[in-house]
Amino acid sequence: MNLRRLRAIARKEFLHVLRDPRSLIMAIVIPMMMLVLFGFALTLDVDNVPLVVWDQSGTHASREFVSRFAGSRYFSLKGSVQSYVELERALDRRHALAGLVIPADFARRVQTGHAVDVQLIVDGSDANTATLAIGYADMLTQTYSQDAALAEANRLGGSPVRRPLDLRPRVWFNSDLESRNYIIPGLIGVIMMVIAALLTSLTVAREWERGTMEQLISTPVKGQELLAGKLIPYFVIGMADVLLGVLMGEFVFRVPLRGSVALLFGVSTLFLIGVLSMGLLISIVTKSQLLASQVAMISTFLPSFVLSGFMFAIANMPRPIQVITYAVPARYFVSMLKSIYLKGVGLEILLGEVALLSVYGLVMVALANVKFKKKLG
Amino acid sequence: MDAAWHASASRFAQPSAVKVQHLVKRFGSFVAVNDVSFEVAPGEIFGFLGPNGAGKSTTIRMLCGILAPSSGTGTVGGFDICTQQEQIKAHIGYMSQKFSLYQDLTVEENIDFYAGIYGITGQRRARRKHWVMEMAGLAEHRKRPTGVLSAGWKQRLALGCAIIHEPPIVFLDEPTSGVDPISRRRFWDLIYDMAGGGVTVFVTTHYMDEAEYCDRLGLIYRGELIASGTPELLKTTFMKEHVLEIFCDRPEEAMAHIEKLPLVREAALFGKGLHVVAEHSEAAGAAIRELLAREGFRLERLERITPSLEDVFVSLIEAQDRSKHAQAEVER
Amino acid sequence: MGQRIRQMLIKEFIQVFRDPRMRTVIFVIPCLQVIVIGYAVSTDVRNVPTAVYDQDQTSDSRDLIARFTDSGCFQVVAYPQNDEEMHRLIDHGRSSVVLHIRRGFSEELRAGRTPALQVIIDGTDSNTAGVVVNYLARVALGYSDQILVERLGRLGGAAQLPGRVTLRTRAWFNENLESRNYFVPAVIVVVVSVVTLLLTSMAVVREKEIGTMEQIMVSPLTPTEFILGKTAPFALVGYVDVLIVTIVGAFWFEVPIRGSLLLLLVATGCYLMATLGAGLLISTISHTQQQAMMGTFFFFFPAMLLSGFAFPIENMPTVVQWLTYLNPMRYFLIIVRATFLKGVGWDVLWPQILALAVMGGVILRLAVWRLRKSL
Repeated sequence: MNLRRLRAIARKEFLHVLRDPRSLIMAIVIPMMMLVLFGFALTLDVDNVPLVVWDQSGTHASREFVSRFAGSRYFSLKGSVQSYVELERALDRRHALAGLVIPADFARRVQTGHAVDVQLIVDGSDANTATLAIGYADMLTQTYSQDAALAEANRLGGSPVRRPLDLRPRVWFNSDLESRNYIIPGLIGVIMMVIAALLTSLTVAREWERGTMEQLISTPVKGQELLAGKLIPYFVIGMADVLLGVLMGEFVFRVPLRGSVALLFGVSTLFLIGVLSMGLLISIVTKSQLLASQVAMISTFLPSFVLSGFMFAIANMPRPIQVITYAVPARYFVSMLKSIYLKGVGLEILLGEVALLSVYGLVMVALANVKFKKKLG
Repeated sequence: MDAAWHASASRFAQPSAVKVQHLVKRFGSFVAVNDVSFEVAPGEIFGFLGPNGAGKSTTIRMLCGILAPSSGTGTVGGFDICTQQEQIKAHIGYMSQKFSLYQDLTVEENIDFYAGIYGITGQRRARRKHWVMEMAGLAEHRKRPTGVLSAGWKQRLALGCAIIHEPPIVFLDEPTSGVDPISRRRFWDLIYDMAGGGVTVFVTTHYMDEAEYCDRLGLIYRGELIASGTPELLKTTFMKEHVLEIFCDRPEEAMAHIEKLPLVREAALFGKGLHVVAEHSEAAGAAIRELLAREGFRLERLERITPSLEDVFVSLIEAQDRSKHAQAEVER
Repeated sequence: MGQRIRQMLIKEFIQVFRDPRMRTVIFVIPCLQVIVIGYAVSTDVRNVPTAVYDQDQTSDSRDLIARFTDSGCFQVVAYPQNDEEMHRLIDHGRSSVVLHIRRGFSEELRAGRTPALQVIIDGTDSNTAGVVVNYLARVALGYSDQILVERLGRLGGAAQLPGRVTLRTRAWFNENLESRNYFVPAVIVVVVSVVTLLLTSMAVVREKEIGTMEQIMVSPLTPTEFILGKTAPFALVGYVDVLIVTIVGAFWFEVPIRGSLLLLLVATGCYLMATLGAGLLISTISHTQQQAMMGTFFFFFPAMLLSGFAFPIENMPTVVQWLTYLNPMRYFLIIVRATFLKGVGWDVLWPQILALAVMGGVILRLAVWRLRKSL
């Protein structure tokens, strides 16, 4: 590889980047915007599920039961209904996502020691919220019954009856279960994947379309020099984005970074080389900016959101899909970022994933070089 | 021209700078270049002439090593165009049809880039940069973005970048298209300068008047080389018919009548007068005089002239078309 | 005029669809995406890798453990023998949960006291962790109940204990709470948006970049004809995409389509006005295809994330919720989901359709106005 030629190419690419300030600014602003959105606005945690209640009993006992729901942070009481039709309408129009129906004989049955059914109807369209809501409701109901039994038993006197089991959950690494703490590290990975594709997927195709590539291939410059030279400025931008993400995580969102900063940037370097080369590969193979943009979108955007483990746990996916995720580089990067941030682990533990990411990087670089031909047609 | 370049070009002692034999290029079922053979001597200005789509760019790309031939052989500077393409690229300069400069880079940045690509450093780089900017007349505009320059300047800059490394052989693909006539003249001055120093220049063009500037020409039409030689040779021996130049009043009307004469192959307006192509100038001339007198036209001048290259070319093309047509008939 | 439009349409179609790869990318890939994503998205939590650290080793402790393993949510993968092993399992990510029962559990239990069950949960995926904590609590409560009944029974029959309240749940619209039914309609919307938005913005800027824009400006083509020529093919693409992705999603995953297809088509039309208009707008502020691509992402990302496709709008800060009212994707998503799952009709969805129509119209009008000025 001739360093002089490499430098000439890299310098030219830097100039291109600087002369297109709009794209450069967007390459910084888009990650910032995503970090802000995810950090402040987006969460999968479920609180304040809008709830309507049809209290057919209307007694002290039923009102106490309802207050358990209304008073919890999980539900937000929106009003009461007087019929199934009203309940249905509330769900149809999304005024509420759940409806609680308390039978008329609630108080009587409870007081006479008979079991009683309370009906909970949830809007199942958002399965996540619905499942969580059901979980909370279940817990509230069981706790209500247990509390009532204990209270009654101890009221009667005699040796105190204690609650049988003390469940002590301790959450490690993210003890207040701040979704932000695990989303931000993963998000940095997702952002990197998408930005890398945006940056490099058009560059080679653009030269082909404008005719400057025809000129370049008539010179002694080698394919590897061309590709490496193109990579360099975008690598710098990519690392700047990583740095931005880390800084924002630290100072704006207060997501603690427990692991080694050096390891973080080392892993990022590995990842960036791989995905930037993938972007170049797309550009090389499509030779058309229009097509390249579409391909870049589909190969980075949805896969990195859905298949990287960032939002949806990979362990919950069917086996064939899990296999597919091995081909998604963001998967390794997201996992490593989370571990470095939250668990503070060192290189020894991450070796497996580092190896896989290296393989990915090597394959992409190799493919890009093989596919790039200094010929027309 | 640069003394050092002169020296390097002269050191280039091959019998022929470019030599191709039976070169063919197919794109699917379309044959762009069909069995083309020619030679270019060192230091020659060789012009590849033909209408758009004739196969000129395709040929030049094969010679530069950026397009693989379907069949045939050739050498450029002694290097094989099929197997030694990278060596070729180190020894040639190529100016592609689209000029291919980076519009968002300044003049100076474009020059610096190509200097870097061709590995030109230090003193030599300073020298060549200066030369290119002087040659192109862009010294005061070195910091301007290339995109805002007019076509003539871009053209000279593109040439400068293509030859910054003083190659012995230079390929120019339609270098003057879209450029004003004065710039075109200037450009050819530059080409003469280079050739005078021993550089081989291979030019493609569709401007007939530029053909006169070349040492030797190849006429290419529909992928086939239908004639080659010096301009003189082409004008005298290749054209079977004669050309008459006629000045009269109401030339368009006159043309309409003349065209109908059986002896006249073709009549066309040329400036203020008419060019008439006929196999026998004597007989045709007489017939025309008679016709014009009869129809009441005032004849000012009628004489046989040496055909221009345009005449030659048109007649050769038509001959080609006719023979192809006849061939098709026979085959049917 | 009709002739010129036809010419433009033909040219546009040829330019975009001549390349078979483009056809694949626009029509085939979205189907594949729906399928893969449909399988991948799941917020259900199953088979959580669990480690059991039972220092008591009595029948009572084993009973308790069995409750968890029988529930189907937890899958035991390791039995650590000491603290260090336990730590390592979580650090390496081999277990997400550790059930830790200390020695003396059974003793405390039989003595009528309150023994502790320690559970360590890996919080790195706090979404799953939250659900896991909830599961744990419910299993623990179930176990507690059983023990409590025994304890209360020993009090003698004198006491009249309060009746147990049991919750019976029914999920409407998506009875099995398949997260897929929630996400597949969302994927349809996202995929179609991306394709049409990106195609439109890039295709117009392409002409600017190649230089054919000037050619068009001096031709007899009027601005309206130009815009129509540029948007019609992509509107068609949008419609075809919605249809085939809907069909694939519905048949492959058996996601029900309970609503009116006509309503869906009308809503699609309104929505496409918005995306195509947005694409045109982006093209008016971009000089190169690179800028168009970046610009598209710049507008698309927040639109997608704030549309309710994966993150419920109800959980967003109030200010942000107000912002989402400006997002056409939000309305289209509601309509698509409702059409699939709820089967409601015009009477319920008319506000969303109206909003879409208005927004689509405004955006398109704005885009046309801007484009006219530059032509």
